[in-house]
Amino acid sequence: MNRFSHVAFLLAAGCLLSAGCGRTPPASYRLNMVEATKQRLTTEQERQVATVLLAMFGTPDEPVALPETGLDEAKLRLASGPVRSDIVGRKNGLYREHCAHCHGVTGDGMGPTAAFLKPYPRDYRPGIFKFKSTERADKPTHADLLRILRNGIAGTSMPSFALLSEPQIDALVEYVKYLSIRGETELSLMRAYFELDDDAQGILPETREFLVDETLTPIAEKWKSAAAAQIVVPDMPADIDLAESIAKGKELFYGDKANCVKCHGVTGLGDGQANDYDDWSKAIVEINKEIKGGLAKAGETSTSGMSAEDAAEHRKQVAWLGRFSHVVDGDALVPRTIPPRNLRLGVYRGGRRPLDLYYRIHAGINGAPMPAAKGTVPPEDIWHIVNYIRSLPYEFDGELGADRPMVARDRF
Amino acid sequence: MTMTKLLAAASRSFTTAFPALVAACGLASGVAGAEEWGTIKGRFLYGGDAPSVAELKADKDLEVCGKHKLVNEELAVGADKGVANVVVFVRDKGVKVHPDAAAEAKATKVVLDNKDCRFTPHVVVVQTGQPFVIKNSDTVGHNSNVATRNNPSNSLIPSGGESSMTFTAEEAIPAQVTCNIHPWMKAWILVRSNPYATASAADGSFEIKNVPAGEVELQLWHEKAGYIGEITVGGKSEKIAKGRRKVKVEAAGTNLGEMVLAPGLFQK
Repeated sequence: MNRFSHVAFLLAAGCLLSAGCGRTPPASYRLNMVEATKQRLTTEQERQVATVLLAMFGTPDEPVALPETGLDEAKLRLASGPVRSDIVGRKNGLYREHCAHCHGVTGDGMGPTAAFLKPYPRDYRPGIFKFKSTERADKPTHADLLRILRNGIAGTSMPSFALLSEPQIDALVEYVKYLSIRGETELSLMRAYFELDDDAQGILPETREFLVDETLTPIAEKWKSAAAAQIVVPDMPADIDLAESIAKGKELFYGDKANCVKCHGVTGLGDGQANDYDDWSKAIVEINKEIKGGLAKAGETSTSGMSAEDAAEHRKQVAWLGRFSHVVDGDALVPRTIPPRNLRLGVYRGGRRPLDLYYRIHAGINGAPMPAAKGTVPPEDIWHIVNYIRSLPYEFDGELGADRPMVARDRF
Repeated sequence: MTMTKLLAAASRSFTTAFPALVAACGLASGVAGAEEWGTIKGRFLYGGDAPSVAELKADKDLEVCGKHKLVNEELAVGADKGVANVVVFVRDKGVKVHPDAAAEAKATKVVLDNKDCRFTPHVVVVQTGQPFVIKNSDTVGHNSNVATRNNPSNSLIPSGGESSMTFTAEEAIPAQVTCNIHPWMKAWILVRSNPYATASAADGSFEIKNVPAGEVELQLWHEKAGYIGEITVGGKSEKIAKGRRKVKVEAAGTNLGEMVLAPGLFQK
């Protein structure tokens, strides 16, 4: 059952040959080395993942969307490939023109500029997105991503692309979804090796049932069902005076139920619990610990006195660490802790509308430590917290102390 | 031929080749019915002096969490050298489930408590469809970040409050539960589609009841050791690739005896 992989492999070889001399080699996707390391994949297994992904998703220049993805290949063509004009003079290669320098050709958030940005650009591969109108674990809707592209993300390096045409923004959103579905499929494939039975000999079945029905379809379905999973937001309570609502919100902010104070701090400056990592950095912290700890231990261990079998096992372990030690330095960004938002700046990354703040508090922020208030804090109370938060940048802050970070009032 | 056409051809040939294979798989997985059920028992022991336990320092909510002695619970070895929290489960897909099990699971709530600024128990095993409740017996608020691959969640759990959930798909490895307000708090959750999973108790012992008689494959996992690759039974070392060990389940009961885990397994 290796026919499929042979075809794709020959194709890959063909691509390399046809590139010829003196020309830039075609763009290619990078493998998720952090996950490959975590799963301790062999080079053969890495090659299988690359081959399967090539057949299922194509290349950065020639993307493929199987019907199960629900993606529109025409839109992907507009966004993918090198920057160029097509036969009717329409600009193609939008992703590489506008996005790839930060988010990377692979959508791994590791473009050439990424290391210099804070926060880091989003890595689409885990399929986790922060600013959306859906429940915490759900995918963003198409409209959510369109909004991010049009408005940008305040307080980060993500600019607004409002100068692009609607079809261009739409094509880019489709391409981001494609990269995310591809990345999540890659993660699923890499994680599937462990679950193989022994008689599979470490090779994933290259069957439609496994690759499409069991792996790709569940990921694509989550994207398709996002629009139906939108959070239903009740109207802001109308029968309450704004000052009264703010006072209630303040009480909730400091209270045990909503507990905002624990991370955002007594001052609201984001100086509470600040030692945590987001999901992307956490994965790197864990793998760094394993490799660095393992290398240190290997340095101290002597094989003399070990049984032949144990010594062989030890050498295997050291070889593995050596093979992946570059992941620590080269294949991942340096992990950073995630500071809770300073609520006195009046800068809201996911949008400044009261509705946006409602979504953030109701569902929490996926990938970040921010938990969901849903189920614990009733909707009218969430609205009170929203009103309090919106008042915070303009609240009297004379008692915060001289060394406080900047607040919005200072700027007026 | 363009690249796109080639790829389309590749995916077409891969489409048509599947039905035969799928049929073959279906035949192969037919398993003879098991009418008899047995209990698997065993105990995990630490193969060295019990390691010293590092104390953790609370840096939040000191007025409550500071009162409790908090320790690193990654590796819990008892006075009698029993290793707690070793996860053991039957990994066979489609294993036959005892007729009483489904009703029992629906009727039993699995509870994870936030108590004394730590999670208890340290490892919970939940079946798909089974009610799972996270509660908070502390006087401070917590949140519980459940990092399962399916239905992950992160809910606020105020003092005296609780959050309930169910899972729809089983997982092959335990997932972490953390509290973002108190980052030293860690627990593990394993979601399985059958009742044949457990974690060893404080004395290192475990028991899995009503397993179909015949051969099953156990998976052994520990948070510090990962998949346990080697055990020593009766003085004889046994390499178990990927932490998998085939065992024969007798209706009269199967006792795997004392399985000694070398300290090296936990030094990662």
